[in-house]
Amino acid sequence: MKTQRWFTPWVLVLPALAWLLVFSVWPSINTLRLSFTDAKPLGGDVDFVGLRNYTDMLHDGDVRTALLNSVIYMAICLPLLTILPLLLAVLVEKKLPGIAFFRTAFYVPVIASAVVVGLIWTWLLDDRGLINNLARHLHLITEPVPFLTDRWLLLISAISLTVWKGLGYYMIVYLAALGNVRKDLHEAAAIDGAGAVRRFLTVTVPGVRGTMFLVSILVSVAALRVFSELYILTGGKGGPGGKDQSLVMLIQQYAGGFYGDFGYASALSVLLFVVTLIPMIVLARLNLRSER
Amino acid sequence: MKTLRYLLLILVLAITVGPFLWELSTSLKGAGEDIYTTTPSFVPHQPTLNNYAKVADAIPVWRYIGNSLVVAALTVGGNILFATTAGYAIARLRFRGRGLVLGLFLSTLVLPGEVTIVSQYVTVRDFGLADTLVGVALPGMVAALNVLLMYNAFRALPRELDEAAIVDGATVPQRLLRVSLPAVRGTLAVVAIFAFIAAWDDFLWPLIVLTSPEKYTLTVGLQYLSGTFTQDQRLIAAGTMIAFIPIAILFSALQRYFFKGVEEGGVKG
Amino acid sequence: MRIRNLTAAAAALALALTTAACGDAKSDTSGTSDKITGSITLQTWALTPKFTDYLNEVIAGFTAKYPGTSVKLLDQPGDGYSAKVLAQASSNTLPDVINLPPDFALPLAKQKLLVDVSKDNDLSKTYVQGGIDAYKFNGVAGVFGYPWYLNTDLDYWNVKQFKDCGLDANTPPATTQELFTQAATMKAKCPDNFLMSRKPDVSDFVRAGIKIISDDGKQFVFNTDQAAALVDQYKDAYAKGYLPPSVLNSDYQGNSKLFTQGKVAWTTGGATGLADFERDNPSLKGQVTVSKALDTPPLYVQGVSVSAKSKYPATAKAFAEWITNADNQNKFGHLVNIFPSTISSASDSYFGKDDGTPAGKARALAFGELKDAKNLIPYEVNSDMQKLLDQQIALAVKGDESGKKALDDAVAKMNQMLSRQ
Repeated sequence: MKTQRWFTPWVLVLPALAWLLVFSVWPSINTLRLSFTDAKPLGGDVDFVGLRNYTDMLHDGDVRTALLNSVIYMAICLPLLTILPLLLAVLVEKKLPGIAFFRTAFYVPVIASAVVVGLIWTWLLDDRGLINNLARHLHLITEPVPFLTDRWLLLISAISLTVWKGLGYYMIVYLAALGNVRKDLHEAAAIDGAGAVRRFLTVTVPGVRGTMFLVSILVSVAALRVFSELYILTGGKGGPGGKDQSLVMLIQQYAGGFYGDFGYASALSVLLFVVTLIPMIVLARLNLRSER
Repeated sequence: MKTLRYLLLILVLAITVGPFLWELSTSLKGAGEDIYTTTPSFVPHQPTLNNYAKVADAIPVWRYIGNSLVVAALTVGGNILFATTAGYAIARLRFRGRGLVLGLFLSTLVLPGEVTIVSQYVTVRDFGLADTLVGVALPGMVAALNVLLMYNAFRALPRELDEAAIVDGATVPQRLLRVSLPAVRGTLAVVAIFAFIAAWDDFLWPLIVLTSPEKYTLTVGLQYLSGTFTQDQRLIAAGTMIAFIPIAILFSALQRYFFKGVEEGGVKG
Repeated sequence: MRIRNLTAAAAALALALTTAACGDAKSDTSGTSDKITGSITLQTWALTPKFTDYLNEVIAGFTAKYPGTSVKLLDQPGDGYSAKVLAQASSNTLPDVINLPPDFALPLAKQKLLVDVSKDNDLSKTYVQGGIDAYKFNGVAGVFGYPWYLNTDLDYWNVKQFKDCGLDANTPPATTQELFTQAATMKAKCPDNFLMSRKPDVSDFVRAGIKIISDDGKQFVFNTDQAAALVDQYKDAYAKGYLPPSVLNSDYQGNSKLFTQGKVAWTTGGATGLADFERDNPSLKGQVTVSKALDTPPLYVQGVSVSAKSKYPATAKAFAEWITNADNQNKFGHLVNIFPSTISSASDSYFGKDDGTPAGKARALAFGELKDAKNLIPYEVNSDMQKLLDQQIALAVKGDESGKKALDDAVAKMNQMLSRQ
């Protein structure tokens, strides 16, 4: 049964496609081109240097450290931020008095300004901050825990900050999806005597599976691209020895300011692109397999 | 059960609402109060609205809000329109190259945008839109993420929806507008919120595009509260609160749409 | 004076893109006018709304003197200024007259985007030498900006903490070595207080007389035993608890933030500092004393440059000279605690007079310091290198590495950056 002319879908897709080509794909192709050059800010002569930027990258200890940080970041954020916001969405889905207030309040961290987030979190995590003072008060520790100066603890602190900011963001993505879960299925399951937990697992989760896949992709991309949380907690310095830098922080350093190295920054961007493709492909495969 | 729910809600509230309270209390603190003490006090002892009045005196807040609203309206409009049409076509229509198009949208999600901002500026300038609000809004009018959100929402709709309409002889636009769209209102609200916030909170891009002070958006304008020789934290906090209010209003207004899902969407359970 | 590289990244690729596309654009000087006429743009950095009236007054004075001219004021916010300037430079839209700190002017001058203002013009008749030198750069002949206002750092001390912890606020440390001694005294009496509030940076090596860069400008050479000993001294001080752990992550303004919060008893800051501390934390009122900077005071220069692409170069130069003339600079210095870069301003008794108020005392002290103030951060050490050095020093101060190893690593990496420029 023919229900549409052949060009109808293209008419619908074209504006969005054109936009992405102009503002996203084309600049990125340029980035790829520049990664084989020694382009500098403010120009001067741009020479083709072949694979030099890429070979330099392989020998750059900072890049290795940043890559490791990004991977650890993703490994921890992915499960947390795929599941916790869903639970939160289920929690605020029910119509209760004052629920609109809670829903809005949970979204606050998403739009809090970097300056305030930095102030609040350093106040929490500082050697004499709230957490250390409480723990000392309760005699759990004798020495303050160096949340903001130890290489690994800094990473963990930044991850907590990411999760805290991400909760509300992904919560509303899930909320929209929950609205599409069939109410009659819930009712049927309830009549069969399924408890809340079982209903969640047998009705809600399958109902939002596509959204879970989408969220997991968004989370892994965001985690590999982490910048502001680490920047805020380390005062822009990347921690002692620069061991708590992410790839994006390095890209910003080489691409930023007047003394950057665009060629190198572009090569790092290409690396970041390749690295972010990996979880995407893996997740897409898993998603396809579970659909069959 | 209800008590447990509220307990959980309050627990999460305590974790999330801190920065908001801190910002609010800083903006209400009078000139005689510490705002940088070792242990911040959340309750202003001399509450005052002076800081808000001072912000309005220092910078033309209303004009900046107007400019930001223009940019946000363009961004929200563009995303709702184009993300809906593209998302619908990929999710509900069969055509050759569909997989390729979907893959392209997915991959732009991971293109590193950190390094392309100024080439975007050059593009906008070549369109003759430098130093205009349209130029500020332009690149953000379609975001791959929003296309994917719409695609995901349309895909979740049951097949029967379309089939009934096809039998009735409805055209594609009719099916989109009358059948599918009402069923994805929740996601539309999410797209609107994401687009609004992206436009409303953006700082660097408008800063680069705009040069005339009268065209500045709110985020750029609020930066003027911290000058070269002076930074009054109370004013900055008041400015941040002013920027926050429209987002809170929008969110409160739209959140009820998340819960009007399929039951009104044409298929009676 | 905040310099943020956070946002400049954005400006990055574009520049390369445009310059790669245009190749070496020949500046088109046809249609430019040598007469003082026409409309120009002036870009300042985060001076409005506080100084809008002053700037408008300066502009009005200029247009009255030169009929047929007009000046449009474009003030940019503090954040993101380097990104903005980069974008302007890359798209050939630099304003005619631009307020640029020397470290922004250097790369623009190297790309021939700024006018050499010393041509047919004896600047040393008008401006102090330190101000002129700030806009002279190795490898490009000329002076690429008119010095505008000057500032330096003073030391601010928390009187209450001094009193409580066995120190005398009337004789605060005057040298870095005294700082270490008094920090030990404070620690012994008050284990929970800190006197020291920053880790060393390249300016401390310059103060100690350590050579930073080789004579030919091709190699950094400050990884000497003397520098390593200084870093190790900070390392010991940190281990003994003279500095709070947050200094490991703190930036240029970190110490003033800690001081305002009452967490440390010392900070450096410009002559405007006092008002800021007291406004953000009123309990500090009357509890802050001010003294001269340790060892050698630093010199901070702001200036205005003229774009090489200006359509009205004569007008732009005339205006830059107008806004930096003694009269206009003195007026500015009376509005806010900064100092004119004009020689004749020394005869303005306002700056050197201590009127008995704490702010007046700060102003007088700072003005007295300017004679001895030196640029303590060699301009070869750009912001990226400073960040890298800071990371390595943090590692050493924390105790994870010896001062020598940290400096060796930093110098090796900085030399690599230098060779790639």
